[in-house]
Amino acid sequence: MLDTIPARRHSRRARPFALALVALIGLSPALAPRAQAAEATLVIARDMDITSLDPARAFCDTCQIVLSATYERLVDLGPDNRTIVPLLAESWEVNADQTVFTFKLDERARFADGGQVTSADVAWSLERLKHLKGNPSFLMDGVAAVETPDARTVVIRTTAPNSELLGILAAPYAAVVNRAVAEANGAKAGEGADAADQADGWFLANSAGSGPFTLAAYAPDDEVRLARNAGYWRDAAPVAQVVIKQVKDSVTQAQMLQSGAADIAMQIDADTAAGVTDPNVVIEPTASFNFVYVALGAGADGMPISMTRPVREAIGLALDYEGIIDLTVAGKGRRIAAPIPNGFPGTEGLPLPARDLDRAKALLAEAGIGGRVTLEAVYPSVNIYGVDFDILMQKVQQDLGDVGLDLALQPVTFPVWRERITATGIPVTAVYYAPDYFGSGQYVQFFGTQEGSPWYKRSHVAKAPDAVNPRIPDLLAAALAAPAEKVDEAFAAIAREMIADRIILPVVSPDLTLAYRKGVKGVRYSACCNLPLAEISVE
Amino acid sequence: MTRYLLRRLIAMPLLMLGVATATFLLSHITKADPLAAIVSERQMNNPEIVAAAKARWGLDRSLPEQYAVYISNLVQGDLGVSFRTRRPVADDIGARLPATLELVVFAMIFGVTAGIGLGVAAAHWRDGWIDHGARLVALIGSSMPVFWTGLILLYVFSVVLGVFPGPGRIDARVAPPPGVTGFYTLDALIAGDMERLRLALAHLVLPAFVLGWAVMGIISRLVRGSMLDVMEQDYIRTARAKGAGEGRVLFAHALRNALIPTLTIIGHSFAYLITGAVLTETIFAWPGIGAYAVDSARSLDHPAIIGVTLVGAAAFLIANLVTDIAYALANPRIEIGRADG
Amino acid sequence: MAEAVRIRPGLPGWLTPPVAVGLAVVAFWVAAALTADLWGLADPLRMVARRLQPPSGAHWLGTDALGRDVLSRTLHGARISLTIAAVVVAAAVSLGAALGAIAGFVGGWVDGLVMRLVDVTLAFPPVLLAMAVAATLGPGLENAVVALVAVWWPVYARLMRAQVLEVRTREHVEAAIACGAGPMRLLTRHILPLCWTPVLINATMDVGQVILLAAALSFIGLGATPPTPEWGAMISEGATQFYSWWIAFGPGFAILTVVLGFNFLGDGLRDFLDTRSAR
Repeated sequence: MLDTIPARRHSRRARPFALALVALIGLSPALAPRAQAAEATLVIARDMDITSLDPARAFCDTCQIVLSATYERLVDLGPDNRTIVPLLAESWEVNADQTVFTFKLDERARFADGGQVTSADVAWSLERLKHLKGNPSFLMDGVAAVETPDARTVVIRTTAPNSELLGILAAPYAAVVNRAVAEANGAKAGEGADAADQADGWFLANSAGSGPFTLAAYAPDDEVRLARNAGYWRDAAPVAQVVIKQVKDSVTQAQMLQSGAADIAMQIDADTAAGVTDPNVVIEPTASFNFVYVALGAGADGMPISMTRPVREAIGLALDYEGIIDLTVAGKGRRIAAPIPNGFPGTEGLPLPARDLDRAKALLAEAGIGGRVTLEAVYPSVNIYGVDFDILMQKVQQDLGDVGLDLALQPVTFPVWRERITATGIPVTAVYYAPDYFGSGQYVQFFGTQEGSPWYKRSHVAKAPDAVNPRIPDLLAAALAAPAEKVDEAFAAIAREMIADRIILPVVSPDLTLAYRKGVKGVRYSACCNLPLAEISVE
Repeated sequence: MTRYLLRRLIAMPLLMLGVATATFLLSHITKADPLAAIVSERQMNNPEIVAAAKARWGLDRSLPEQYAVYISNLVQGDLGVSFRTRRPVADDIGARLPATLELVVFAMIFGVTAGIGLGVAAAHWRDGWIDHGARLVALIGSSMPVFWTGLILLYVFSVVLGVFPGPGRIDARVAPPPGVTGFYTLDALIAGDMERLRLALAHLVLPAFVLGWAVMGIISRLVRGSMLDVMEQDYIRTARAKGAGEGRVLFAHALRNALIPTLTIIGHSFAYLITGAVLTETIFAWPGIGAYAVDSARSLDHPAIIGVTLVGAAAFLIANLVTDIAYALANPRIEIGRADG
Repeated sequence: MAEAVRIRPGLPGWLTPPVAVGLAVVAFWVAAALTADLWGLADPLRMVARRLQPPSGAHWLGTDALGRDVLSRTLHGARISLTIAAVVVAAAVSLGAALGAIAGFVGGWVDGLVMRLVDVTLAFPPVLLAMAVAATLGPGLENAVVALVAVWWPVYARLMRAQVLEVRTREHVEAAIACGAGPMRLLTRHILPLCWTPVLINATMDVGQVILLAAALSFIGLGATPPTPEWGAMISEGATQFYSWWIAFGPGFAILTVVLGFNFLGDGLRDFLDTRSAR
C-alpha cells in the first residue's frame, strides 16, 4: 500500500524526478489512473448530503449508510426489506396491545473499544435521541419510557399502541452509542440536552458504536473513510477500508466506475446508465422506495382560482405519468398510487394514476375555470434520485398547458423554497421523499392533511377548507393498533383517503441503479440503511 | 508613496468591515430559511424542533444583535461555525484554500509561460500568420465560457481518449499525501512519493489549463505590445547595428523590458484567477473555496457565506495592493494615488 | 508602434481587420436574434421530436432532454443574451457615469460617500458579488441583470469621475466659469461631452464579459428560469446529459463566437486608439 512507503528515503532523489515528470505532462498517455491493487479498499462514489454524523442529529441518505456501518440498533431490517431481525437484541417480546416491548441484549455485543453493550447504553442513547430535539427525534414520539430492569434487558413502553415501533428501532438513527465515550466528549442525554450537548463536532471525527466499521476520517465535501472494526463481536466485515468519495454528478460516478477509480455508485441516472457499455461494470436497476411528487398548495397566497377537490382531481388527471417517467428517468421508474412507497404496508392493489384529458377538462369546466389561468410553480432546483427537477417541471408545465393551466416556473434553492412554502404556500410545487424507517405511519403523519401535519400547514387550509382531512388521525391510530395481519388493510384505507384528497400527486418512483464493478459482491438496497456495507466483499 | 501605502493599509480593514456588513445584510434580507442545513424538510414545520435549532444557532436573536455578535467575534478572528458542515468556518476554509491556491498557481504558471512564449513569437513574426494565430488563441481564451471548455476537455481527454483522469484532486482510492502545505504536489514531493505526485499532477492538467487560458491570452497580448514598443527604440537598433543576434535582441533586451508591465498584470490576474476558480472548481469537482462558496450559497449557510466572501475579498485586495506597489516601483514616474478619491 | 494595417485604402482608419471580423460576427448574431422566428425552425419551447437525438438533417444540432430543437433554442437564445448584455451595459454606464460625474463635479462629502461605496463594491470579487446579489434576489433574468449592474457600475463611476476631474481643469471650462456659467450648464455643456469617449470604449469592451458572466449565473442556476432558452442554462442542462454532447455544443459555440466577436472589436479598437495616441 502507498501509505507504507517510508517518507524520508526517496526525498533526495525526488527533485530531478519531479522535473522530468512535469516535462512529461501532456506527452505520456499513462497518466490516466490505473486501478490500484490496494488490498480490500472499497470505494463508493456518491453525492453526499451529510450535515452531521451524530446519530441523534444526522438525517440523510448517506448518514444511513455511515451510521448503520459504525453503529448498531436493537434490531435490523432483513434483506427482504420487511422482516425485523435481531441485531444487538438477540430476542424480544411484544405485549398484546403493542405498548410494551421487551428486548434481551446479546451477551457477546461489544463496542469498538471493547466495552460491553449494556441496557444502560441503550436507554441513554434513546433518551438522547428524544431530548436533542434534532431531525430524527420524532422517531421517539410516543415512547413513554425506556426501562432497564437488568444489564441485559430493555423495556420500552409507548403511550399508544404502535405496530411500527420495531421498524422505527431498526432505523440507523436509533443507534446505540457507547455512553461512557460519548459523555467524555460532551454528549448529554437528559432534558435540556438540546442546549447542553456539545458533542456534534466530536461525532464528525469519531464514532462510538458497536458496528462492523469505525469512522476513520471525515472531510466535508470530500470523503468519509471507514476502517474495519478489528474487534467486531460478530463476523468481521470482508473489506478493510471503505471510502465514500464526494462525487456530485451521475456522469462522473459512471466514469469512475469504468476507469476503476470507484467500485460502487448508486446515483447514476437512467440516461447515463444507458451509455455505460463497459463489460466490467454491472448495472442493476432496482425498484426503490424513493418517490417524487407534485404538491398542490390549495390555499396558497396568489392562487388565482379556487382550488377545490375537483380542480385538484383535474390536475391529477392532466398529468401524463408515462410521459413523465419517460422524460425524467428514461422509462426506468414506476407509477405510484399514494404518497406511500410501493412495497410498504397498504400499497398493494391501489389504483395507479393515469392521464384522462377529457375528464380533466370537463372537471375544470364544471368548476367554472375557463380560458387560460397562470399558476406560480416554485420548486427546488435539484437533481435527485436521477430526476432533474427542471426537466420534470417543464414536462408538468406542458401537461397542464394542455388543459389551460399555465405554470410560471421558478426554480429556487431549498432555503428559498422552504421559506416560501411555509410563509405563503406555493400553488404548484414538486418535492421528493425517501423512507426514514420501514413503516407507512411516517408517510401518513407527513403527507396526510390532518390538523397540524406538515402538509396541512403547507396547504394553508384557511383558504381551502376542503383540503383538510379530519378522518386521518383515527384511521392512523387504528392502523398502528392493528394486529400484524390487518396492518396492510388499515393503511390501504388511509392511502385511499390521501389519493382522494389530491394534495400530494406522486408522479414517479424512480428505479435505483445499483452499479458496481464486476467482482464486487453483496451489493443490495435496504429500506432502512440504504447500502449495508458489512455485507460487501471485493474479489 | 509611503503615505499612500499607509492609507491603503489602513483602508483595508475598513473595506473588509464594509464587505462583511454588506454580505451580512445581503444574506439576511434574502427571503429564505436559514435553518435549511440544520432542520430537515420533514421537521421544518415542527415548532418545537425549529425553536430548539434557532436557540442553539443564535438565530432567535434580533438581526442587530446577530450582527453585533458576528462582528465582535470577527474582530477576534472567529468566523463562526458553518450551519452545513458544523465545523468552524476558519477550519473549513483552511482545508479548502490550499486546493484553490494549488490550482491557481499551476494555472498561473501555465498562463505566464505560455503567454510569454506566445507573445514573443507574435512580436517576432509580427503580422505573420503566427501573430494572427496568437491573437486568435488569446482572444478565444477570454471568450470561452470556462464551464463549457471544462466539459469539452473532460469529454475528449478523459472519457473518449482516457489520457487524463476525471474530476478531483487525486485518485479516490489513494489517500492524500501527508498534509504539510496542503498542496498535494508539494506534499508528495516532501514525502518523496512519486506515485502520488504523478497522480496529483495529472489531475491538475485540465483544470489548470482551462483556468490559465484566459491569463495566457492577456499576457501574450501584453508581451507582444510592449516588445513591439521596445523594439522600435534606439538602443535596440543600436544593439542590432552592433551585430547582436536576433535571439539576443529578443530575449536579452526586448523581453526584459516587456517583463515589467507583465509582472504587474500577473497580480491582477491572480485576483481574477481566485474568483475564476469558482466555476472551474464546480466542473472539476475540485474541493476548493470556489465550490465551497457555491455550496454555502445554495444552503444559505450565513457564517460560511460571509467567511468565504471575506477571504475572497482579502485575497483580491492584497493582490491589487501588491500589484499597485509593483507598478509604482517599476514606473517611478507614475504618481499613484492621485485619482484615487 | 506600427501603424494599424488597413484593409484597403479609402476605408476609415478604425476599420482594421480585427474590428471588421468582430463587427461581422456581432452583426451575424444580432441578425440571428432579430430573425430567429423567420427561419421556419421548430418552436423552441415545445417538444418536437424524440429526446436526446444526435444532430440530423431534421434537427441540425440535435434535440435536448425534453425533445426540443437545440438549433432553434440556440438562435432564440441570442435574443436573450444580447438583450441582457445591452441592458446591463447601458444601465451600468448610466448609473456609474451619473454617480461618478456628480462625485467628481460636486466633490466634498458627496464625493467621499460615492467613492467609499465604489471601494466597497470593488473589494468584492466580481463573481462572488454577482452570485450574492442574484442569490439574494432569487433566480430570474431581471434579477440577474440587477446583479450584473451591481458588479459593473463602480468601474464606470471611477472612470467618469477621473474624466470629470481632468476636464474640469481645462482652459475652456475655466473660461466658462469665469463667464458665470451655472453648475448645471457647466456640467452638461462643457464637461460631460468631453468625458464620454473612454467610457464608451470601455463599455464596448465589457459587453463580452457581461455575456459570459450572465451565462455563468444561469449555469449555476441563478439566472434564467426554464424553459427560457438562455445559453448558460442550456449548457447546464447539457452538463447533466454529458454523453449527449450536442445539447451543450450549440449554446457553448454561440457564447464563444459572440464573445469572441466583441473581444475582436474591443481589441481592434484599442490597438487603433493606442496607435493613434502614440503618434
